[in-house]
Amino acid sequence: MSWGLAAIVDAGLVLGIATMLSGLAGIGDDSSDATAFACVGAALAAVSALARRRVAPPERPTAGRVFAGIGLLWVVLVLFGAVLYASTAALPRLDDALVESAAGFTTTSLTLLDGAEASRTVMLFRAATSWVGGLTAVLIGVVTLPSVLRSTSLIGYSTGRSGRDLVPSAVTGRRRVLLLYSGFTAACVVAYLLCGLGVTEALVVGLGTASTGGFTGRPDSLAGYGGAVQAVAGVGMLVAGAGIFVIWWIARGRLRPLWRSQELQTFVALIAVATTAMALHRGVGVGEAAFMATSAMSTTGFAVADWTAWGTAATVVMLVAVGIGTMMGSPGGGLRVMRVRLLMASAGGELRRQIDPYAVVLVRSDRQTLSQRALDRLGGHHLAYLMLVGVGTMLLGVSGVSLLGSVWGSVSAVSTFGPAVGEIGAFGLLDGVDSAERLALVPLMIAGRATVPPVLAGIGLVLGWYRGARRRMRGAFQPVLSRRASAESGYRDG
Amino acid sequence: MASESVVRSDPSGRGSLRDRIVSTNMHILGISLAAVSLGMMGCALLEALTSRRDTAALVVSAVVVGSAGGALWYLTAPGTTRMRQVFATVAWTWILTTAAGALPFVLAGTFAVPGVGFVEQLVNSLFESASGFSASGSTVLSDFEAPGRGLMMYRQLTHWYGGMGVVVLAVAVLPFLGVGGLELITAELPGTSSDRLAPRVSETARRLWLVYIGFTACAAVAFYAADGFSSLYDAVAHAFTVAATGGFSVHADSIGHYDSVAVEAVAIVFMILGGTSFTLHWRAVTARTLPYHRNSEFRTYLTVLSAASAVIVLIVWLENGLALGSSIRAAVFTVVSLGTSTGLSNATGPGSPADYVAWAAGAQLILVGLMVVGGCAGSTSGGIKVMRMRVLGLTMLRSIRYTQTPRAVIPIRLGSETVREAVVARAAGFFLLHFLLVLGGLLAVTSLGGDLETSLGAVFSALGNMGPALGEAGPTSNYAVAFSQPARLVLALLMVIGRLEIFPILLTAAGLFTSSYHAATRQGRHWMRFATRRFQR
Repeated sequence: MSWGLAAIVDAGLVLGIATMLSGLAGIGDDSSDATAFACVGAALAAVSALARRRVAPPERPTAGRVFAGIGLLWVVLVLFGAVLYASTAALPRLDDALVESAAGFTTTSLTLLDGAEASRTVMLFRAATSWVGGLTAVLIGVVTLPSVLRSTSLIGYSTGRSGRDLVPSAVTGRRRVLLLYSGFTAACVVAYLLCGLGVTEALVVGLGTASTGGFTGRPDSLAGYGGAVQAVAGVGMLVAGAGIFVIWWIARGRLRPLWRSQELQTFVALIAVATTAMALHRGVGVGEAAFMATSAMSTTGFAVADWTAWGTAATVVMLVAVGIGTMMGSPGGGLRVMRVRLLMASAGGELRRQIDPYAVVLVRSDRQTLSQRALDRLGGHHLAYLMLVGVGTMLLGVSGVSLLGSVWGSVSAVSTFGPAVGEIGAFGLLDGVDSAERLALVPLMIAGRATVPPVLAGIGLVLGWYRGARRRMRGAFQPVLSRRASAESGYRDG
Repeated sequence: MASESVVRSDPSGRGSLRDRIVSTNMHILGISLAAVSLGMMGCALLEALTSRRDTAALVVSAVVVGSAGGALWYLTAPGTTRMRQVFATVAWTWILTTAAGALPFVLAGTFAVPGVGFVEQLVNSLFESASGFSASGSTVLSDFEAPGRGLMMYRQLTHWYGGMGVVVLAVAVLPFLGVGGLELITAELPGTSSDRLAPRVSETARRLWLVYIGFTACAAVAFYAADGFSSLYDAVAHAFTVAATGGFSVHADSIGHYDSVAVEAVAIVFMILGGTSFTLHWRAVTARTLPYHRNSEFRTYLTVLSAASAVIVLIVWLENGLALGSSIRAAVFTVVSLGTSTGLSNATGPGSPADYVAWAAGAQLILVGLMVVGGCAGSTSGGIKVMRMRVLGLTMLRSIRYTQTPRAVIPIRLGSETVREAVVARAAGFFLLHFLLVLGGLLAVTSLGGDLETSLGAVFSALGNMGPALGEAGPTSNYAVAFSQPARLVLALLMVIGRLEIFPILLTAAGLFTSSYHAATRQGRHWMRFATRRFQR
């Protein structure tokens, strides 16, 4: 049985339950959405539960099939969400529904929904899509990809032996990740409730924090909330951006790996540097700068101020922070702190090799030496990420977005951040963006969320088809060509 | 500046005429300065025969630079060089030659506009010199009529020197250079490695300069004919530019000044050839058959230029509402100019069809992509180079295949040749450093007051030795208007870093940092020991 189908069934079960709960929570609200969502959610959960008994993932799936399955999974999730949104009064147009669904599942803080007009069910469903998307991303990143990529996976270099304890086997790993992720979400929601938010609001913002989705339902994101809520959001984003391994260490009370993790040290140091760089601008408070630096590095997308007006250098700092992104094992996006560290080490090694071409330069992380194959994959990943951003920039530019808006929009969408300088703005509102431009963001968000390997596998698939077609063409023309060649040699001989 | 500081007698044993300090970097710097001074003297002669405005400035500069260069040449001798010294030699030669090259602008008061202080004049002169020698073509000159013809020709000449490289020139004139000659050429010439055109390194350098001079002469004749034999001065000036894929022009509106399809066609042909490997040109001259179509890099280079031209013609025609003919003329010239990192413009003024700043965002983004890619390895153009981009693309495809077949051994091939893993690693490292420099440069320039769009374009342009950028630094604009003084200095540094393909400057800076760190540590230890002893007493 295909790996992709099994993953879709698993995700369907979680999504069905989440949709049903959104519908149930909306009962009593003066909207017809609640019943529809509850019924659809229950049906999806039931069908997925039944299918789960018949669909078992293969014992040893090949990398190509897993990557294809990951791509398919994200597309199916987005389409399901789009159909549900399109059935509501909040987003009746299918293109708008598609954009909202893609933004939700990819944990990108872009929205067309107006919290004041949309029903409670729709708001909770929007938050739930982010949560399911975040959970799926963590499971793929922590459980699936390491088992497929084996020694070339960077998770092991990021977390060491203590990180491997989290996932002793696929089943245990999945259960632990689900528990930790749910527990962290619950902690966020409780903290928001203690800060005085209503239940619905606490749920929406809590799910948005834990999943790094960044959805609040308000047009000014978290700017209108009190300092306590912003502080909770700041800490929540920091933990969510640090990833599931850090949550695991905190939950187990293991401070030693937490203290010694070079990736975590770099993550915190980068936030501190970005905060300082932004706080140097006139009119920017340290608190605001720290919040926005954390939001950018965790690719959450919450905002407490219009940071696009802070000055050019501050926006460049934000762009770099968004591009770097989160730690390994986080539901957030970006190139990842670990990769950036290794790339820097690799660049330093290359400088050394210029002086001594025969030097054997080793790239290390947390006292482990990276294999040559892992380095090759790292380089390929970096190039593919940049190519994705470049293609996205072109796509947005051609669809009519301004030059700056295209660059920012592409980096932000691929890193699953959302807000951007230009047409989109600091709060990720898509109202002022054309329909074609919004649709151009959808493939970027999905490609960024699906992470680079599936995208690479997709490119590989296309190349494979191209090569196959070329071979077939050659095969078809071979008799004609060989006849002509023999005729020409006949003339020469004659 | 690092030097071996060893005194020796004449190694021939025939009785020494003088004792000389063995220092390859000083010796090469001396030759480079002497060569630049010869150019200054030639331009002074032209100035004296024509406008006579800046003759004194050029003569004084030539004497000062020539004396310094001659003294260094006379008092030093080349010796064996290690890799670190090779990079230091190239970096210091370029930095000091650029500084010396600014002297005529300072003495002539080229940038002495009312309201501009001496420091700003100095910064502008350095910027213009860096832009010239690095063959970038970004300018801070606003009044193109004020300087005399000799000084304007000197400005063009800086491009020409920088195009093939002053270090290659020095290696060419040296009768004997110890180990490191080829490394010196490799460190200066754009590309992944230098092909030997002859068994001797100095002969290789000589042949490269020979083909470069021939190329420039052909371009000058072609420009002269295309312009209706009206101005030999203009023809030679623009020949220097296209040979070096620079971007300076003697007219404020660049090639747009002529508004002539023939002149633009000549420029297009020579810009494309300037962006092609000069080794290939040498083989074309010496072999019976043309080697271009057999070179896979050249084919990719032409494909990229053709595809980009076609897409931009469509965008400009459909989105900007230009006539098809104007779209083709504007798009093809601009694509070739930026794709070869030349930077000439056929815009007749702000808002004219070829003023690409007014084009749709998609077209401008493709142009930025071309700025990043640049021309072929071994050419005078800037950017990452087509060959490296191909290697990087193949590396990416290889990483895809690794995920599918993790144990496969997959070599990277360009045409029929297998690329060595060291070259692959070097290309990946170069790309990464280029990317980091773009980010660093962007942060620096925006912190110094540039707006994001203009700064982004300028940083890409400076590192790719392009010239014109985006926004306020477009083809019809001026860097003095777009950027503050410190930002201009940062961009000048980026131009030199980009021209030397990153490694020489970074390694020299790293060497300086390391030696200062070690010196400081030694000093610190000494003081600690001293303080401890005092305390114990």
